[in-house]
Amino acid sequence: MLDDLSNQFLPSTVGGLAAGAIFALLALGYTMVYGVLRLINFAHSEIFMIGTFASLFVLTTMGVTGPLTGFALIGMLLLMLVVSMAAAGGAAVLLEQVAYRPLRKKGASRLAALISAIGASLFLQEFFALVVIPAVFDKAGRNTTGVPRLVDRDVVFTIGNANVRTDHIIVIVAAIAMMVLLDQIVNRSRMGRGIRATAQDPEAAVLMGVNIDNVVRMTFLLGGAMAGVAGMLYVMEYEVTQYNEGFVLGIKAFTAAVLGGIGNIRGALLGGFALGLIENWGAIFLGSEWKDVIAFIVLVVVLMFRPTGILGESLQRARA
Amino acid sequence: MLLEVNDIHVYYGKVAALHGVTLEVSEGEIVALIGANGAGKTTTLKTISGLRPLARGRVRFQGEDISKVPAHKRVALGIGQAPEGRGIFPGMTVQENLLMGAYGRKGDVSGDLAQVYEIFPRLAERKSQYGGTMSGGEQQMLTIGRALMTNPKVLLLDEPSMGLAPMLVAQIFDIVKEINERGTTVLLVEQNAHQALQLAHRAYVLETGAVVKSAPASDLLHDPEVRAAYLGGDLGVA
Ligand SMILES: Nc1ncnc2c1ncn2[C@@H]1O[C@H](COP(=O)(O)OP(=O)(O)O)[C@@H](O)[C@H]1O
Ligand SMILES: [Mg+2]
Repeated sequence: MLDDLSNQFLPSTVGGLAAGAIFALLALGYTMVYGVLRLINFAHSEIFMIGTFASLFVLTTMGVTGPLTGFALIGMLLLMLVVSMAAAGGAAVLLEQVAYRPLRKKGASRLAALISAIGASLFLQEFFALVVIPAVFDKAGRNTTGVPRLVDRDVVFTIGNANVRTDHIIVIVAAIAMMVLLDQIVNRSRMGRGIRATAQDPEAAVLMGVNIDNVVRMTFLLGGAMAGVAGMLYVMEYEVTQYNEGFVLGIKAFTAAVLGGIGNIRGALLGGFALGLIENWGAIFLGSEWKDVIAFIVLVVVLMFRPTGILGESLQRARA
Repeated sequence: MLLEVNDIHVYYGKVAALHGVTLEVSEGEIVALIGANGAGKTTTLKTISGLRPLARGRVRFQGEDISKVPAHKRVALGIGQAPEGRGIFPGMTVQENLLMGAYGRKGDVSGDLAQVYEIFPRLAERKSQYGGTMSGGEQQMLTIGRALMTNPKVLLLDEPSMGLAPMLVAQIFDIVKEINERGTTVLLVEQNAHQALQLAHRAYVLETGAVVKSAPASDLLHDPEVRAAYLGGDLGVA
């Protein structure tokens, strides 16, 4: 047992950080939408799924069949990033327009919005399984789709007995860069001020001249774009996707958001990395098939002691 | 006439909160709107600022019918509201809260910021404190200051003295007077009728969603019915 621990601790840490980076990116969308609308956007996992297929589409269209290096690799990664962000961000905005806005305008209950969210989630899964995947990718809609390797698993450096590979570095660096960018947008830009004001007190925000519809649209766009980044990195790192690829990952990312304190952007980051690490460390003792269980045990235990998560709500901070 | 509210009817669900409220505010005035809890004072202000839709009637501002203009656009027209129960942004600093008031404005607002700090020296001292950690009186000053930062032609104040100690109440009323003297028209909602009537030029009395009296404020101070209902009978008038 102790041998396992000392052998596997550092490698698990590296794997945990890569997984955590993806959880964190996805958690941002849950947390931002919750902060602004008090809505759990259940279909966010499908926005992520759309992001994975957008990247796959780029790889297929560009005829990538094996690893790239140098500028070709960088160019391909950037292209995937842009296309996935645009597809996922656009899908999120459309989702809000179709599934949530009409209910909001009618003053429907939050329960109605949640049911609409679950419906949208199922619709998007089925739409991909029945229409998009067969038509665009010429594959059976419900099978797992393999993704060609884009980045060689070269070891860049080692920490103790842990190999840190190129793909790990890309995932972690890209995720952190995107999160810093988002944090700057929310904390520095005018639209970001509108988002924070709306989260803290929507009525007062309107009295300042904030257009809530624009804020909500922007929130979905930013959250969706981050899910697009997550989808792109996921496809590169794990090299698979399918119509319901977002389901378990979405629940874990939501867990990460709750863990960090739902509504709190920095909390989502912290929760994502914490969850990735805990899962992978826990798997040393219990085996990797226990990963999903570990994630939820952690959630329950944390919430018992800190019901508002590690950092508490803060996009709105102590809103009455 | 700066602001005309004409026979407005407003509902929460199927229940009418206002049935036919009419009032006017001319430039330079302080107009008080008094009435018991639940009379519809807040609803009246929210309808003027656009937070509540109206079922019937109209709101005119500077001669234009603004009944259909969305709330966030009324701010730029010159309608500023300090909401009831404060409604500051708790997770923003005092200065960030004030700058939110200038959210829809273009150009340099540092002059207006300096002016707000001049009116509320207390806010200047606490610039970088989070709104949520301020005392009740300070939060009240902050909502008023923030509404001033929208550069309003008419300032709608919803119970600025609510929950404050008597000394602070007097201070807030002094500040309202000062704001008016600097050129901003004020529509003041108050349960603290005595002080509101002493400050205002004219006043309306609202009862269960309708205006039952309107007169110069000094007349209402001596009106037997108003004294009995809102000024605590004879004890209310010093
Ligand atoms: N959000 C709401 N939902 C339902 N009824 C409301 C709501 N807000 C106010 N009301 C009702 O509308 C009436 C007027 O309320 P309000 O305008 O807040 O009065 P005031 O500000 O004079 O105390 C009251 O009968 C109140 O119960
Ligand atoms: Mg009220």
